[in-house]
Amino acid sequence: MRILIVGGGQVGYGLAKALAGRHEVVVVDHASDVADRFEPLDVEFVAGGGTSRETLKRAGLDQADVFIACTGLDEVNIVACGMANQIRQTRTICFVSREDFVRTVTSEESLSDFGIDRVMWPEAQLADDIERIVVSPGAIDAEVFADGAVRLLEYRLDTGSSLLNARVADLNLPSGSLLVAVRRGDEFFIPHGNSRLAVADKAVVMGTPEAMAAVQSRMNANRNIGRQSVTIIGGGDVGLRLAEHLDAVRSISLRVIERDLKRGEALAARLGGALVLQGDGTNLALLESEDIGRSDVLVSVIDNDEKNLLASLLGRQLGVKRIITRVSEPSNLRLFERVGVDVAISARGAAIAAVLHEVEGGSSSLLAVLEQGDGRILELQVPPAYVGRALRDLGPPRDSIVGAILRGKQAIVPRGDDKLLAGDRLLVFSTHSAADEVRTFFSGAA
Amino acid sequence: MRLAVVVHVVGVLVRLFGPLLLVPTAVAAFYGEWRDATGFLATAVGSSLLGHVMRYAGGEAALEAAERLRRVEGMTIVAASWMLIAHLAAVPYVLAGVGFIDALFESMSGLTTTGATALADFSKFGRGIFFWRSMTQWVGGMGVIALFVAVLPRLAIGGRELFFAEAPGPTDEKLTPQIRQTALTLWRLYTALTAAQVLALWLAGMSLFDSVCHSMATLAAGGFSPHPLSVAGYANPAVEWIIAFFMFVGGANFALQYRMVRGNARALVDDEEMRAYTGIVLAATVLLAFFLSASGMPVAEAIRHGLFQTVSIITTTGFASVDFNLWSDQAKMVLLGLMFVGGCAGSAAGGPKVVRHVLMARFTLRELQRTLHPRAVLPIKLGGRVVPEHVVREVVVFMLFYILTFALGAAIVIALGANLITGISASATTIGNAGPGFDTIGPMSSFAHLHPISKIVLTLEMWIGRLEVLTVLVLLRWEIWRSATWRLAEAR
Repeated sequence: MRILIVGGGQVGYGLAKALAGRHEVVVVDHASDVADRFEPLDVEFVAGGGTSRETLKRAGLDQADVFIACTGLDEVNIVACGMANQIRQTRTICFVSREDFVRTVTSEESLSDFGIDRVMWPEAQLADDIERIVVSPGAIDAEVFADGAVRLLEYRLDTGSSLLNARVADLNLPSGSLLVAVRRGDEFFIPHGNSRLAVADKAVVMGTPEAMAAVQSRMNANRNIGRQSVTIIGGGDVGLRLAEHLDAVRSISLRVIERDLKRGEALAARLGGALVLQGDGTNLALLESEDIGRSDVLVSVIDNDEKNLLASLLGRQLGVKRIITRVSEPSNLRLFERVGVDVAISARGAAIAAVLHEVEGGSSSLLAVLEQGDGRILELQVPPAYVGRALRDLGPPRDSIVGAILRGKQAIVPRGDDKLLAGDRLLVFSTHSAADEVRTFFSGAA
Repeated sequence: MRLAVVVHVVGVLVRLFGPLLLVPTAVAAFYGEWRDATGFLATAVGSSLLGHVMRYAGGEAALEAAERLRRVEGMTIVAASWMLIAHLAAVPYVLAGVGFIDALFESMSGLTTTGATALADFSKFGRGIFFWRSMTQWVGGMGVIALFVAVLPRLAIGGRELFFAEAPGPTDEKLTPQIRQTALTLWRLYTALTAAQVLALWLAGMSLFDSVCHSMATLAAGGFSPHPLSVAGYANPAVEWIIAFFMFVGGANFALQYRMVRGNARALVDDEEMRAYTGIVLAATVLLAFFLSASGMPVAEAIRHGLFQTVSIITTTGFASVDFNLWSDQAKMVLLGLMFVGGCAGSAAGGPKVVRHVLMARFTLRELQRTLHPRAVLPIKLGGRVVPEHVVREVVVFMLFYILTFALGAAIVIALGANLITGISASATTIGNAGPGFDTIGPMSSFAHLHPISKIVLTLEMWIGRLEVLTVLVLLRWEIWRSATWRLAEAR
């Protein structure tokens, strides 16, 4: 496929990097100095404006199959998609960050008017991801798939956890849930029946919503999960959206710390019950006087990795139980978690996964990336050859596990003797290295 | 400030006031009260002439300049025209034999919809006079200037400033882009409601004349009754329920009522002020009914009188369904408190208005929270929208000056010989435009026996209260008068 990316910023770079191997990628950016960054990648770089007809033609829009606009300016992205659509009926993906634009472009009639096929709103996605984690007490990651039919939660095991010291096969997890993966230090593996969990392991569990609710109450058996107090540091796009959602949850008392007074006023105007504090989230005196240490969750979503890290570490020092931190530079993800952040999460990661899914569609089938890319969740069609066979007999590749069978709108968490039917789709959890093997296996070729 | 412009515009307003007096002239003539009819006619002619003279004194250039009124000029015009019109409206009383101070008190009490009376003996006066008392309330309720803006296209441009300087409450809500259209719309609604009440009262057995007088005084939140015993004199529970209902309506925001009539059914329900207003009325009714039944009144009556008196005082109408001066001090305390509440912004009611109390409460709570969280950003919201800080400050300042004016007025009245309860309730009831007070100025008595200077002070308080305190008090600033000049060009 020939893919045209307008905008060579962080998102553009991430996309180019992810797509470069398998597709013909052309990056357009008016700043020629960013060209150096793309040098090591196997992509073509065209200097020029993304809204210039001439530049787009020069970049080979005539042969492009997919057009992605991801500059930092919403207006530019919208216009670029419109122009691309005019010149050639390509699939267009438009990155938008401001809410009013998102509303404008996503309304039914405007989508076709602007020539946009798909709108990406990474900030919102990040905010929604964080929200899911915050409202799942104790969890350090939370995802939903298949329109909510399947949920995934990740927990770090403390010394008192009931999952310790037993064989995985004897864990007695609620029926409808499944332990799919474990991270132990740098190691990441799919557990067997004989594996045992240890203190400080991170366990990933998947299942139906009902089963996962049971998992949650079991994981929090000795924890008081009545009222949660949440502190958000940074009231930018992500902070505001997250705050708006959490503000609506009755059992959460919310504080937002924002440095800019004007922005703080805008936040306070939008939020009903949340307390908006004006100040620097890295100011220890402020954090202490507002007793931030007693928060159950601290979410740091400033636009700056260093500040986020500092704020998070201060929070940890003051005694906050769970810390979720936004990371812009993906290479920092691992580092953040190593120094004490419970969840390091990046807007770009989620957005790039979404674009990959969009671009490669069924063939990529990548639904989500977990644990900084070590874990993959793939959505796969059951090939005709496997219809009617039990999962146990199939023997899927090592380092992968079928987490759920999607049959119609229903999700089934499989046991070994479940048989596959025509039209079933599978949610397969695999390690990064096994992903390609899994794909081949389920394409029916193996 | 350009005095020529002020004189010119006040002249225009006064000239328009003249013809209004033709209505009581006709009423007095209808009942064969020729002496009063002559008095009304003479005042009508005199007012028109005075208006003409002032208009021309301002000169032709002032006409053009009036289209770009400055804020201070607008305030001066509003304050001055209310004062001047009050004097003119007093003339028929003087001609009917009332002393000047009492006549001015009565006329100001009418126009400001206070409803406190200085007439001691009602039997001395004809129907024309009673009609005029109620009519001044009806005109003053929606606002003299709002009326003139509605009927006079020329005033429309400069009228914006005047309209808002006169309008009750801190919000400047417009129903239509054109101020004239807004004023016209409000007057139509007001007239329709009045007509509905006349019909209802008439059907309940009141005479047509009394129905008209009471209806005009009800929707205006006025409180003048042609009966010396007020509403209690009719001893008709149906009449009391009807009047209570229309008083409640008169104390609610007319703009919201208009929206509701035009199909936005939730306009009133969603309004925070309206909810607070309803809540206070219900709570005060329960409290009053409890105190009344505790002191021996039958429960059904306690509820009826409790509701009637609550609505009457909170909307600052001042009708009495019973001589509440005979009630216990517990019940009187509730009524005195209600005098300091007032109706909704954009209604005919006086007092500080419910919305100001809502904002004051939030302001107080915010300052409390700020002591706990010094760095917190805490905007004050109303109906989900942030209230700008300058509006909040104006509300706080308003309340401060309101209380100060009340205290000063009470002190003067007491110093001049009135007893403590009389003095306090007289000051509270006049600045709040409520009407009757307690003790010697209860609902069945009059203000006539007070010291003349007390009556002048109370007349001023009615004026200050109706124009929402700051419009008048700002005129005490010396710098306004130092820079005042007759000429137009230099003052720009």
